[in-house]
Amino acid sequence: MGCTRKQAATSEPWRVGVLFSNSGFMAVIEETQLRGTLLAIDEINAAGGVNGREIVPVCYNPASEAAAFGHYAKCLMVADDVTTIFGCYTSSSRKAVLPVVERLNGLLWYPTLYEGFELSPNIIYTGAAPNQNSVALCRFLMANYGRRFYFVGSDYIYPRESNRVMREIVRNNGGEVAGETYLGLRARPADFLPVIREVHELRPDIIFSTVVGDATSHLYQAYADAGFDPKTMPIASLTTTEAEIRAMGFDVGAGHITAAPYFQGIGGDRDKSFVSRYKKRYGDDEPTNMCVEAAYFQVHIFARALEAANSMETDILRPMVLGSSLDAPQGRISIDAGNNHASLWTRIGRANRRGQFEVMQQSLSAVIADPFMVSCG
Amino acid sequence: MANSLKGGAPRGQDLRPAPAMGRLPVEASDLDIVVVTARDEAGETLIRELQRTRSRVRHVWPPPDPLPVDTDVLFCDLVPGLPARLPWLPGEPKAALVALVPSSVLVDLDLLRKATPEAVLHRPFTPAAIVASLVLARSRFAYERRLRSRIERLDATLRATRSVERAKAILMGTRSMAEDQAYHHLRSQAMERRVSVGVIAAAIVDAHDLLG
Repeated sequence: MGCTRKQAATSEPWRVGVLFSNSGFMAVIEETQLRGTLLAIDEINAAGGVNGREIVPVCYNPASEAAAFGHYAKCLMVADDVTTIFGCYTSSSRKAVLPVVERLNGLLWYPTLYEGFELSPNIIYTGAAPNQNSVALCRFLMANYGRRFYFVGSDYIYPRESNRVMREIVRNNGGEVAGETYLGLRARPADFLPVIREVHELRPDIIFSTVVGDATSHLYQAYADAGFDPKTMPIASLTTTEAEIRAMGFDVGAGHITAAPYFQGIGGDRDKSFVSRYKKRYGDDEPTNMCVEAAYFQVHIFARALEAANSMETDILRPMVLGSSLDAPQGRISIDAGNNHASLWTRIGRANRRGQFEVMQQSLSAVIADPFMVSCG
Repeated sequence: MANSLKGGAPRGQDLRPAPAMGRLPVEASDLDIVVVTARDEAGETLIRELQRTRSRVRHVWPPPDPLPVDTDVLFCDLVPGLPARLPWLPGEPKAALVALVPSSVLVDLDLLRKATPEAVLHRPFTPAAIVASLVLARSRFAYERRLRSRIERLDATLRATRSVERAKAILMGTRSMAEDQAYHHLRSQAMERRVSVGVIAAAIVDAHDLLG
Protein backbone atom coordinates (compact mmCIF):
# COMPACT_ATOMS: atom_id res chain seq x y z
CA MET A 1 0.00 0.00 0.00
CA GLY A 2 1.11 3.51 1.03
CA CYS A 3 4.90 3.15 0.99
CA THR A 4 5.54 2.14 -2.61
CA ARG A 5 3.08 4.73 -3.87
CA LYS A 6 4.71 7.52 -1.88
CA GLN A 7 8.23 6.68 -3.06
CA ALA A 8 7.15 6.73 -6.67
CA ALA A 9 5.23 9.94 -6.20
CA THR A 10 8.08 12.46 -6.04
CA SER A 11 7.24 13.98 -9.42
CA GLU A 12 3.48 13.67 -9.04
CA PRO A 13 1.66 16.99 -8.87
CA TRP A 14 0.21 18.47 -5.67
CA ARG A 15 -3.55 18.41 -6.18
CA VAL A 16 -5.63 21.15 -4.58
CA GLY A 17 -9.38 21.80 -4.67
CA VAL A 18 -10.87 25.09 -5.91
CA LEU A 19 -14.51 26.05 -5.23
CA PHE A 20 -15.70 29.36 -6.66
CA SER A 21 -18.86 30.00 -8.71
CA ASN A 22 -18.51 30.65 -12.45
CA SER A 23 -22.23 31.19 -12.75
CA GLY A 24 -25.21 32.36 -10.73
CA PHE A 25 -25.75 35.57 -8.78
CA MET A 26 -22.36 35.47 -6.99
CA ALA A 27 -20.26 34.93 -10.14
CA VAL A 28 -19.24 38.62 -10.48
CA ILE A 29 -17.04 38.43 -7.39
CA GLU A 30 -16.33 34.68 -7.12
CA GLU A 31 -14.92 34.55 -10.66
CA THR A 32 -12.36 37.16 -9.63
CA GLN A 33 -11.36 34.97 -6.65
CA LEU A 34 -10.99 32.02 -9.02
CA ARG A 35 -8.74 34.17 -11.22
CA GLY A 36 -6.61 35.27 -8.26
CA THR A 37 -6.22 31.64 -7.22
CA LEU A 38 -5.24 30.43 -10.70
CA LEU A 39 -2.84 33.34 -11.23
CA ALA A 40 -0.95 32.42 -8.06
CA ILE A 41 -0.88 28.72 -8.99
CA ASP A 42 0.51 29.62 -12.45
CA GLU A 43 3.20 31.82 -10.91
CA ILE A 44 4.31 29.06 -8.55
CA ASN A 45 4.35 26.46 -11.32
CA ALA A 46 6.24 28.79 -13.67
CA ALA A 47 8.89 29.13 -10.97
CA GLY A 48 9.32 25.35 -10.83
CA GLY A 49 6.44 24.31 -8.58
CA VAL A 50 6.83 23.35 -4.94
CA ASN A 51 9.85 21.13 -4.26
CA GLY A 52 9.91 20.35 -7.97
CA ARG A 53 6.28 19.32 -8.13
CA GLU A 54 3.54 21.18 -9.96
CA ILE A 55 0.36 22.40 -8.23
CA VAL A 56 -2.71 21.15 -10.10
CA PRO A 57 -6.11 22.69 -9.28
CA VAL A 58 -9.21 20.50 -9.28
CA CYS A 59 -12.03 23.00 -9.90
CA TYR A 60 -15.78 22.65 -9.51
CA ASN A 61 -18.44 25.28 -10.21
CA PRO A 62 -21.00 25.35 -7.35
CA ALA A 63 -23.03 27.93 -9.34
CA SER A 64 -23.78 30.16 -6.31
CA GLU A 65 -25.71 27.40 -4.48
CA ALA A 66 -24.56 26.99 -0.86
CA ALA A 67 -25.52 23.28 -0.72
CA ALA A 68 -23.44 22.60 -3.84
CA PHE A 69 -20.35 23.85 -2.01
CA GLY A 70 -20.84 21.15 0.64
CA HIS A 71 -21.47 18.53 -2.04
CA TYR A 72 -18.35 19.42 -4.05
CA ALA A 73 -16.21 19.66 -0.91
CA LYS A 74 -17.24 16.05 -0.21
CA CYS A 75 -16.41 15.05 -3.82
CA LEU A 76 -13.00 16.73 -3.57
CA MET A 77 -12.11 15.07 -0.30
CA VAL A 78 -13.52 11.55 -0.76
CA ALA A 79 -13.24 11.01 -4.53
CA ASP A 80 -10.47 13.36 -5.71
CA ASP A 81 -8.08 12.74 -2.77
CA VAL A 82 -7.74 16.46 -2.11
CA THR A 83 -6.94 17.75 1.40
CA THR A 84 -6.64 21.50 0.75
CA ILE A 85 -9.47 23.57 -0.75
CA PHE A 86 -9.35 27.21 -1.82
CA GLY A 87 -12.82 28.62 -1.95
CA CYS A 88 -16.08 30.17 -0.76
CA TYR A 89 -17.34 33.73 -0.79
CA THR A 90 -20.63 33.69 1.12
CA SER A 91 -20.80 32.63 4.76
CA SER A 92 -23.54 30.15 3.82
CA SER A 93 -21.13 28.38 1.49
CA ARG A 94 -18.35 28.40 4.12
CA LYS A 95 -20.71 26.91 6.67
CA ALA A 96 -21.65 24.18 4.15
CA VAL A 97 -17.98 23.22 3.68
CA LEU A 98 -16.99 23.52 7.36
CA PRO A 99 -18.32 20.15 8.64
CA VAL A 100 -16.72 18.34 5.70
CA VAL A 101 -13.21 19.74 6.23
CA GLU A 102 -13.55 19.34 9.99
CA ARG A 103 -14.61 15.67 9.83
CA LEU A 104 -12.07 14.63 7.21
CA ASN A 105 -9.39 16.96 8.61
CA GLY A 106 -8.82 19.06 5.52
CA LEU A 107 -7.97 22.75 5.17
CA LEU A 108 -10.32 25.33 3.67
CA TRP A 109 -8.61 28.58 2.67
CA TYR A 110 -11.30 31.26 2.86
CA PRO A 111 -10.35 34.53 1.09
CA THR A 112 -13.38 36.63 1.99
CA LEU A 113 -14.30 39.17 4.64
CA TYR A 114 -16.90 37.72 6.99
CA GLU A 115 -18.86 38.41 10.19
CA GLY A 116 -16.41 36.82 12.63
CA PHE A 117 -17.43 34.61 15.58
CA GLU A 118 -15.90 31.47 14.12
CA LEU A 119 -12.64 29.64 14.64
CA SER A 120 -12.25 26.27 13.03
CA PRO A 121 -8.90 24.46 13.17
CA ASN A 122 -9.68 23.40 9.60
CA ILE A 123 -10.14 26.88 8.09
CA ILE A 124 -7.52 29.54 7.33
CA TYR A 125 -9.32 32.90 7.23
CA THR A 126 -7.58 35.40 4.91
CA GLY A 127 -10.37 37.99 4.51
CA ALA A 128 -11.16 40.71 7.04
CA ALA A 129 -12.91 40.09 10.37
CA PRO A 130 -15.12 42.94 11.68
CA ASN A 131 -12.40 44.53 13.81
CA GLN A 132 -10.27 44.84 10.66
CA ASN A 133 -12.84 46.77 8.61
CA SER A 134 -16.13 47.68 10.37
CA VAL A 135 -14.67 49.51 13.37
CA ALA A 136 -12.52 51.91 11.34
CA LEU A 137 -15.27 52.38 8.75
CA CYS A 138 -17.80 53.35 11.41
CA ARG A 139 -15.49 55.93 12.98
CA PHE A 140 -14.58 57.38 9.59
CA LEU A 141 -18.22 57.74 8.59
CA MET A 142 -19.25 59.38 11.86
CA ALA A 143 -16.36 61.83 11.68
CA ASN A 144 -17.17 62.80 8.10
CA TYR A 145 -20.89 62.31 7.42
CA GLY A 146 -22.99 62.11 10.58
CA ARG A 147 -24.34 59.71 13.15
CA ARG A 148 -27.56 58.30 11.63
CA PHE A 149 -27.15 55.00 9.78
CA TYR A 150 -29.59 53.12 7.56
CA PHE A 151 -28.76 49.41 7.12
CA VAL A 152 -29.63 47.57 3.90
CA GLY A 153 -28.46 44.02 3.26
CA SER A 154 -29.00 40.78 1.39
CA ASP A 155 -31.00 38.29 3.42
CA TYR A 156 -28.53 35.62 4.53
CA ILE A 157 -26.07 34.94 7.35
CA TYR A 158 -23.36 37.50 6.63
CA PRO A 159 -25.44 40.72 6.43
CA ARG A 160 -27.53 39.91 9.48
CA GLU A 161 -24.56 38.87 11.62
CA SER A 162 -22.36 41.66 10.30
CA ASN A 163 -25.09 44.24 11.05
CA ARG A 164 -25.44 42.86 14.57
CA VAL A 165 -21.77 43.68 15.06
CA MET A 166 -22.02 47.01 13.19
CA ARG A 167 -25.02 48.09 15.26
CA GLU A 168 -22.95 47.57 18.38
CA ILE A 169 -20.03 49.55 16.96
CA VAL A 170 -22.32 52.39 15.83
CA ARG A 171 -23.90 52.64 19.25
CA ASN A 172 -20.59 52.51 21.09
CA ASN A 173 -19.45 55.46 19.01
CA GLY A 174 -22.57 57.45 19.83
CA GLY A 175 -24.43 56.85 16.59
CA GLU A 176 -27.86 55.37 15.87
CA VAL A 177 -29.46 52.99 13.40
CA ALA A 178 -32.46 54.76 11.87
CA GLY A 179 -33.69 51.78 9.85
CA GLU A 180 -32.76 48.28 8.75
CA THR A 181 -34.00 46.21 5.84
CA TYR A 182 -33.09 42.96 4.03
CA LEU A 183 -33.75 41.84 0.47
CA GLY A 184 -33.47 38.41 -1.15
CA LEU A 185 -30.15 37.40 -2.68
CA ARG A 186 -31.84 37.42 -6.08
CA ALA A 187 -33.48 40.84 -5.55
CA ARG A 188 -34.42 42.68 -8.77
CA PRO A 189 -34.07 46.39 -9.52
CA ALA A 190 -37.72 47.08 -8.64
CA ASP A 191 -37.24 45.53 -5.18
CA PHE A 192 -35.03 48.48 -4.25
CA LEU A 193 -37.72 51.13 -4.85
CA PRO A 194 -39.29 50.69 -1.37
CA VAL A 195 -35.78 50.96 0.10
CA ILE A 196 -35.20 54.27 -1.68
CA ARG A 197 -38.62 55.49 -0.50
CA GLU A 198 -37.72 54.67 3.09
CA VAL A 199 -34.37 56.44 2.75
CA HIS A 200 -36.28 59.50 1.44
CA GLU A 201 -38.46 59.49 4.54
CA LEU A 202 -35.78 58.72 7.14
CA ARG A 203 -33.03 60.92 5.68
CA PRO A 204 -30.11 59.06 7.28
CA ASP A 205 -26.54 60.41 7.05
CA ILE A 206 -25.14 57.12 5.75
CA ILE A 207 -26.58 54.09 3.95
CA PHE A 208 -24.61 51.08 5.20
CA SER A 209 -24.91 48.28 2.65
CA THR A 210 -24.23 44.59 3.05
CA VAL A 211 -25.97 43.82 -0.23
CA VAL A 212 -23.89 41.30 -2.20
CA GLY A 213 -23.90 39.79 -5.69
CA ASP A 214 -25.83 41.14 -8.67
CA ALA A 215 -28.21 43.03 -6.37
CA THR A 216 -25.34 45.43 -5.51
CA SER A 217 -25.67 47.09 -8.91
CA HIS A 218 -29.43 47.49 -8.44
CA LEU A 219 -28.99 49.27 -5.10
CA TYR A 220 -26.42 51.79 -6.36
CA GLN A 221 -28.40 52.33 -9.58
CA ALA A 222 -31.63 52.95 -7.63
CA TYR A 223 -29.70 55.41 -5.45
CA ALA A 224 -28.38 57.24 -8.54
CA ASP A 225 -31.83 57.29 -10.17
CA ALA A 226 -33.30 58.87 -7.03
CA GLY A 227 -30.84 61.74 -7.37
CA PHE A 228 -29.19 61.33 -3.95
CA ASP A 229 -25.75 62.88 -3.45
CA PRO A 230 -22.84 60.69 -2.23
CA LYS A 231 -21.18 63.83 -0.81
CA THR A 232 -23.83 64.16 1.87
CA MET A 233 -25.28 60.63 2.16
CA PRO A 234 -22.88 58.01 0.73
CA ILE A 235 -23.46 54.29 0.53
CA ALA A 236 -20.80 52.69 2.73
CA SER A 237 -19.96 49.02 2.28
CA LEU A 238 -17.59 46.24 3.22
CA THR A 239 -18.42 44.18 0.14
CA THR A 240 -18.56 46.60 -2.81
CA THR A 241 -15.20 46.17 -4.55
CA GLU A 242 -13.77 47.28 -7.90
CA ALA A 243 -15.56 44.25 -9.45
CA GLU A 244 -19.02 45.40 -8.34
CA ILE A 245 -18.25 49.03 -9.29
CA ARG A 246 -17.30 47.86 -12.76
CA ALA A 247 -20.53 45.84 -13.04
CA MET A 248 -22.72 48.82 -12.02
CA GLY A 249 -20.80 51.44 -14.06
CA PHE A 250 -18.09 53.82 -12.84
CA ASP A 251 -20.41 56.86 -12.73
CA VAL A 252 -22.97 54.98 -10.62
CA GLY A 253 -20.34 53.91 -8.07
CA ALA A 254 -18.43 57.20 -7.84
CA GLY A 255 -18.30 58.90 -4.45
CA HIS A 256 -19.33 55.86 -2.41
CA ILE A 257 -17.22 54.40 0.41
CA THR A 258 -15.78 50.91 1.01
CA ALA A 259 -13.53 49.57 3.78
CA ALA A 260 -11.12 46.82 2.72
CA PRO A 261 -7.59 45.54 3.37
CA TYR A 262 -6.73 46.13 -0.28
CA PHE A 263 -7.68 48.34 -3.23
CA GLN A 264 -6.15 48.20 -6.69
CA GLY A 265 -5.13 51.81 -6.31
CA ILE A 266 -3.04 51.54 -3.13
CA GLY A 267 0.18 51.80 -5.14
CA GLY A 268 3.63 50.49 -4.23
CA ASP A 269 5.85 48.23 -6.32
CA ARG A 270 4.40 44.98 -5.05
CA ASP A 271 0.85 46.03 -5.87
CA LYS A 272 1.80 47.48 -9.26
CA SER A 273 3.48 44.27 -10.38
CA PHE A 274 0.56 42.20 -9.05
CA VAL A 275 -1.93 44.38 -10.97
CA SER A 276 0.09 44.22 -14.18
CA ARG A 277 0.40 40.44 -14.02
CA TYR A 278 -3.33 40.16 -13.39
CA LYS A 279 -4.18 42.44 -16.33
CA LYS A 280 -1.72 40.66 -18.58
CA ARG A 281 -3.51 37.40 -17.98
CA TYR A 282 -7.14 38.53 -17.80
CA GLY A 283 -7.30 41.74 -19.83
CA ASP A 284 -6.47 45.43 -19.43
CA ASP A 285 -9.90 46.46 -18.20
CA GLU A 286 -10.08 43.75 -15.50
CA PRO A 287 -9.52 45.37 -12.10
CA THR A 288 -8.12 43.57 -9.08
CA ASN A 289 -9.98 43.83 -5.75
CA MET A 290 -9.68 42.75 -2.10
CA CYS A 291 -11.11 39.29 -2.83
CA VAL A 292 -8.72 38.67 -5.75
CA GLU A 293 -5.85 39.77 -3.58
CA ALA A 294 -6.74 37.50 -0.66
CA ALA A 295 -7.39 34.57 -3.04
CA TYR A 296 -3.98 35.29 -4.59
CA PHE A 297 -1.81 35.74 -1.51
CA GLN A 298 -3.30 32.77 0.35
CA VAL A 299 -2.08 30.41 -2.39
CA HIS A 300 1.42 31.82 -1.93
CA ILE A 301 1.19 31.31 1.85
CA PHE A 302 0.06 27.75 1.17
CA ALA A 303 2.94 27.11 -1.27
CA ARG A 304 5.56 28.30 1.20
CA ALA A 305 4.10 26.17 3.97
CA LEU A 306 3.93 23.21 1.61
CA GLU A 307 7.57 23.70 0.67
CA ALA A 308 8.53 23.41 4.35
CA ALA A 309 6.12 20.57 5.14
CA ASN A 310 6.58 18.69 1.86
CA SER A 311 3.26 17.01 2.65
CA MET A 312 -0.40 17.69 2.01
CA GLU A 313 -1.34 15.96 5.28
CA THR A 314 -3.22 18.65 7.20
CA ASP A 315 -1.56 17.84 10.52
CA ILE A 316 1.89 18.34 8.96
CA LEU A 317 0.99 21.32 6.75
CA ARG A 318 -1.05 23.39 9.23
CA PRO A 319 1.80 24.08 11.71
CA MET A 320 3.82 25.51 8.80
CA VAL A 321 0.94 27.84 7.88
CA LEU A 322 0.22 29.17 11.37
CA GLY A 323 2.53 32.03 12.28
CA SER A 324 3.88 32.44 8.74
CA SER A 325 4.05 35.82 7.02
CA LEU A 326 4.26 37.15 3.48
CA ASP A 327 4.72 40.39 1.57
CA ALA A 328 1.29 40.49 -0.06
CA PRO A 329 0.14 43.17 -2.53
CA GLN A 330 -1.63 44.93 0.40
CA GLY A 331 1.59 44.93 2.49
CA ARG A 332 3.19 42.55 4.96
CA ILE A 333 0.58 40.15 6.36
CA SER A 334 0.76 37.09 8.60
CA ILE A 335 -1.42 34.20 9.76
CA ASP A 336 -2.06 34.44 13.49
CA ALA A 337 -1.06 31.18 15.15
CA GLY A 338 -3.69 31.59 17.86
CA ASN A 339 -6.79 32.17 15.75
CA ASN A 340 -6.10 30.99 12.14
CA HIS A 341 -7.02 34.47 10.86
CA ALA A 342 -4.76 36.70 8.76
CA SER A 343 -3.49 39.96 10.24
CA LEU A 344 -4.55 42.46 7.57
CA TRP A 345 -4.37 46.16 6.74
CA THR A 346 -7.35 48.40 7.37
CA ARG A 347 -8.13 50.87 4.60
CA ILE A 348 -11.03 53.20 3.77
CA GLY A 349 -11.49 54.00 0.09
CA ARG A 350 -13.78 56.29 -1.91
CA ALA A 351 -14.65 55.27 -5.48
CA ASN A 352 -13.62 57.75 -8.18
CA ARG A 353 -14.95 58.20 -11.71
CA ARG A 354 -12.49 55.64 -13.08
CA GLY A 355 -13.87 52.79 -10.98
CA GLN A 356 -10.93 52.92 -8.58
CA PHE A 357 -10.86 53.61 -4.86
CA GLU A 358 -8.84 56.50 -3.50
CA VAL A 359 -7.47 55.64 -0.06
CA MET A 360 -8.86 58.13 2.48
CA GLN A 361 -7.35 56.50 5.53
CA GLN A 362 -5.23 53.46 6.39
CA SER A 363 -3.70 51.64 9.35
CA LEU A 364 0.01 52.00 10.10
CA SER A 365 0.55 48.24 9.88
CA ALA A 366 -1.41 44.99 9.64
CA VAL A 367 -4.14 44.69 12.29
CA ILE A 368 -4.44 41.41 14.21
CA ALA A 369 -7.86 39.79 13.75
CA ASP A 370 -10.15 39.61 16.77
CA PRO A 371 -12.82 37.26 15.40
CA PHE A 372 -14.81 37.12 18.63
CA MET A 373 -14.52 40.90 19.21
CA VAL A 374 -13.07 40.22 22.64
CA SER A 375 -11.27 43.54 22.88
CA CYS A 376 -13.68 45.64 20.81
CA GLY A 377 -16.19 47.42 23.01
CA MET B 1 -29.20 -12.79 24.56
CA ALA B 2 -28.31 -9.49 26.13
CA ASN B 3 -31.72 -8.67 27.48
CA SER B 4 -32.02 -11.89 29.42
CA LEU B 5 -28.50 -11.92 30.87
CA LYS B 6 -28.78 -9.65 33.90
CA GLY B 7 -25.61 -9.61 35.95
CA GLY B 8 -24.05 -12.62 34.19
CA ALA B 9 -22.15 -15.51 35.73
CA PRO B 10 -20.24 -15.06 39.02
CA ARG B 11 -16.66 -13.91 38.44
CA GLY B 12 -13.82 -16.38 38.63
CA GLN B 13 -15.79 -19.42 37.53
CA ASP B 14 -15.94 -18.89 33.78
CA LEU B 15 -13.23 -16.70 32.24
CA ARG B 16 -14.51 -16.89 28.65
CA PRO B 17 -15.99 -13.57 27.54
CA ALA B 18 -19.75 -13.69 27.60
CA PRO B 19 -21.52 -13.03 24.28
CA ALA B 20 -23.02 -9.87 25.75
CA MET B 21 -23.32 -8.98 29.39
CA GLY B 22 -25.93 -6.70 30.79
CA ARG B 23 -28.80 -4.82 29.29
CA LEU B 24 -28.66 -3.20 25.86
CA PRO B 25 -28.44 0.56 26.40
CA VAL B 26 -31.54 2.50 25.41
CA GLU B 27 -29.68 4.17 22.55
CA ALA B 28 -28.92 0.72 21.04
CA SER B 29 -32.38 -0.81 21.13
CA ASP B 30 -35.64 -0.39 19.23
CA LEU B 31 -33.88 0.92 16.13
CA ASP B 32 -34.32 0.98 12.38
CA ILE B 33 -31.31 -0.83 10.95
CA VAL B 34 -30.28 -1.28 7.32
CA VAL B 35 -27.89 -4.12 6.44
CA VAL B 36 -25.96 -3.86 3.17
CA THR B 37 -24.01 -7.08 2.61
CA ALA B 38 -24.33 -10.35 0.69
CA ARG B 39 -26.88 -12.68 2.26
CA ASP B 40 -24.42 -15.53 2.81
CA GLU B 41 -24.02 -17.41 6.10
CA ALA B 42 -22.32 -14.44 7.80
CA GLY B 43 -24.94 -12.06 6.42
CA GLU B 44 -27.74 -14.23 7.81
CA THR B 45 -26.05 -14.35 11.23
CA LEU B 46 -25.79 -10.56 11.24
CA ILE B 47 -29.43 -10.03 10.32
CA ARG B 48 -30.61 -12.63 12.85
CA GLU B 49 -28.58 -11.19 15.73
CA LEU B 50 -29.71 -7.63 14.96
CA GLN B 51 -33.33 -8.78 14.87
CA ARG B 52 -32.82 -10.27 18.33
CA THR B 53 -32.09 -6.75 19.67
CA ARG B 54 -35.74 -6.03 18.83
CA SER B 55 -34.80 -3.62 16.09
CA ARG B 56 -36.43 -3.46 12.68
CA VAL B 57 -33.89 -4.78 10.18
CA ARG B 58 -34.00 -4.14 6.43
CA HIS B 59 -31.64 -5.86 3.98
CA VAL B 60 -30.36 -4.30 0.75
CA TRP B 61 -27.89 -5.81 -1.71
CA PRO B 62 -26.08 -4.84 -3.88
CA PRO B 63 -25.35 -1.40 -2.36
CA PRO B 64 -27.57 1.27 -3.93
CA ASP B 65 -26.26 4.74 -4.75
CA PRO B 66 -27.02 6.66 -2.67
CA LEU B 67 -27.49 4.39 0.33
CA PRO B 68 -30.82 4.58 2.19
CA VAL B 69 -31.02 7.51 4.61
CA ASP B 70 -34.15 6.76 6.69
CA THR B 71 -32.42 4.58 9.28
CA ASP B 72 -30.69 4.78 12.67
CA VAL B 73 -27.80 2.44 11.90
CA LEU B 74 -26.25 1.33 8.64
CA PHE B 75 -24.24 -1.93 8.58
CA CYS B 76 -22.48 -1.78 5.22
CA ASP B 77 -19.66 -3.61 3.43
CA LEU B 78 -16.62 -1.35 3.03
CA VAL B 79 -17.04 -1.29 -0.76
CA PRO B 80 -15.01 1.02 -3.02
CA GLY B 81 -16.90 4.28 -3.44
CA LEU B 82 -18.73 3.89 -0.12
CA PRO B 83 -17.77 7.41 1.13
CA ALA B 84 -19.35 9.00 -1.95
CA ARG B 85 -22.50 6.86 -1.64
CA LEU B 86 -23.23 7.86 1.94
CA PRO B 87 -26.38 10.02 1.82
CA TRP B 88 -24.95 12.83 3.97
CA LEU B 89 -21.98 15.19 4.14
CA PRO B 90 -18.97 14.08 6.19
CA GLY B 91 -19.36 15.64 9.61
CA GLU B 92 -23.16 15.68 9.37
CA PRO B 93 -24.06 11.96 9.48
CA LYS B 94 -27.74 11.08 9.59
CA ALA B 95 -27.14 7.52 10.83
CA ALA B 96 -24.45 5.58 12.66
CA LEU B 97 -22.28 3.58 10.28
CA VAL B 98 -20.74 0.16 10.98
CA ALA B 99 -18.22 -0.83 8.31
CA LEU B 100 -18.24 -4.56 7.50
CA VAL B 101 -14.74 -5.76 6.56
CA PRO B 102 -13.24 -9.12 5.62
CA SER B 103 -10.76 -10.72 8.00
CA SER B 104 -8.63 -12.44 5.34
CA VAL B 105 -7.38 -9.40 3.37
CA LEU B 106 -5.94 -6.06 4.45
CA VAL B 107 -8.45 -3.30 4.99
CA ASP B 108 -8.15 -0.30 2.63
CA LEU B 109 -7.24 2.23 5.33
CA ASP B 110 -7.77 5.28 3.12
CA LEU B 111 -11.25 4.05 2.25
CA LEU B 112 -11.95 3.35 5.92
CA ARG B 113 -10.83 6.85 6.96
CA LYS B 114 -12.98 8.54 4.31
CA ALA B 115 -16.06 6.48 5.17
CA THR B 116 -15.80 7.72 8.81
CA PRO B 117 -17.61 4.73 10.35
CA GLU B 118 -18.48 4.75 14.05
CA ALA B 119 -17.44 1.10 14.37
CA VAL B 120 -15.86 -1.74 12.36
CA LEU B 121 -17.09 -5.35 12.28
CA HIS B 122 -14.88 -8.16 10.93
CA ARG B 123 -16.11 -11.28 9.14
CA PRO B 124 -17.02 -13.88 10.19
CA PHE B 125 -19.46 -12.07 12.45
CA THR B 126 -19.98 -13.44 15.96
CA PRO B 127 -23.05 -12.52 18.05
CA ALA B 128 -20.84 -10.85 20.68
CA ALA B 129 -19.00 -8.71 18.14
CA ILE B 130 -22.23 -7.74 16.38
CA VAL B 131 -23.82 -6.43 19.56
CA ALA B 132 -20.60 -4.71 20.65
CA SER B 133 -20.30 -2.89 17.31
CA LEU B 134 -23.94 -1.82 17.48
CA VAL B 135 -23.56 -0.40 20.99
CA LEU B 136 -20.25 1.31 20.17
CA ALA B 137 -21.56 2.84 16.94
CA ARG B 138 -24.70 4.21 18.55
CA SER B 139 -22.76 5.52 21.55
CA ARG B 140 -20.19 7.35 19.40
CA PHE B 141 -22.86 8.68 17.07
CA ALA B 142 -24.89 10.07 19.97
CA TYR B 143 -21.78 11.50 21.63
CA GLU B 144 -20.70 13.39 18.50
CA ARG B 145 -24.21 14.72 18.10
CA ARG B 146 -24.14 15.99 21.70
CA LEU B 147 -20.77 17.64 21.08
CA ARG B 148 -22.04 19.36 17.93
CA SER B 149 -25.08 20.61 19.79
CA ARG B 150 -22.85 21.86 22.61
CA ILE B 151 -20.78 23.85 20.09
CA GLU B 152 -23.96 25.32 18.59
CA ARG B 153 -25.19 26.35 22.03
CA LEU B 154 -21.80 27.80 22.94
CA ASP B 155 -21.84 29.87 19.74
CA ALA B 156 -25.31 31.17 20.58
CA THR B 157 -24.32 31.88 24.18
CA LEU B 158 -21.24 33.78 23.09
CA ARG B 159 -23.43 36.08 21.02
CA ALA B 160 -26.03 36.41 23.77
CA THR B 161 -23.37 37.34 26.32
CA ARG B 162 -22.55 40.47 24.35
CA SER B 163 -26.22 41.52 24.36
CA VAL B 164 -26.49 40.78 28.07
CA GLU B 165 -23.45 42.93 28.85
CA ARG B 166 -24.87 45.81 26.82
CA ALA B 167 -28.34 45.47 28.31
CA LYS B 168 -26.78 45.43 31.77
CA ALA B 169 -24.91 48.66 31.00
CA ILE B 170 -28.12 50.27 29.67
CA LEU B 171 -30.07 49.32 32.80
CA MET B 172 -27.28 50.59 35.04
CA GLY B 173 -27.11 53.86 33.09
CA THR B 174 -30.80 54.63 32.56
CA ARG B 175 -32.39 53.08 35.65
CA SER B 176 -29.46 53.67 37.98
CA MET B 177 -29.42 50.01 38.95
CA ALA B 178 -26.42 48.35 40.60
CA GLU B 179 -24.72 45.64 38.57
CA ASP B 180 -26.29 42.71 40.44
CA GLN B 181 -29.70 44.41 40.31
CA ALA B 182 -29.40 44.74 36.55
CA TYR B 183 -28.56 41.05 36.14
CA HIS B 184 -31.42 40.11 38.47
CA HIS B 185 -33.81 42.27 36.46
CA LEU B 186 -32.79 40.53 33.22
CA ARG B 187 -33.18 37.08 34.78
CA SER B 188 -36.58 37.75 36.32
CA GLN B 189 -37.93 39.34 33.12
CA ALA B 190 -36.74 36.28 31.18
CA MET B 191 -38.38 33.88 33.64
CA GLU B 192 -41.64 35.83 33.62
CA ARG B 193 -41.81 35.77 29.83
CA ARG B 194 -40.42 32.25 29.52
CA VAL B 195 -37.65 33.24 27.13
CA SER B 196 -33.87 33.20 27.43
CA VAL B 197 -31.94 36.01 29.09
CA GLY B 198 -30.30 36.63 25.71
CA VAL B 199 -33.69 37.34 24.10
CA ILE B 200 -34.64 39.81 26.85
CA ALA B 201 -31.24 41.48 26.62
CA ALA B 202 -31.51 41.84 22.83
CA ALA B 203 -35.00 43.37 23.23
CA ILE B 204 -33.72 45.93 25.75
CA VAL B 205 -30.80 46.84 23.51
CA ASP B 206 -33.10 47.23 20.48
CA ALA B 207 -35.63 49.29 22.44
CA HIS B 208 -32.86 51.52 23.73
CA ASP B 209 -31.73 52.01 20.12
CA LEU B 210 -35.22 53.01 19.00
CA LEU B 211 -35.62 55.47 21.84
CA GLY B 212 -32.28 56.98 20.85
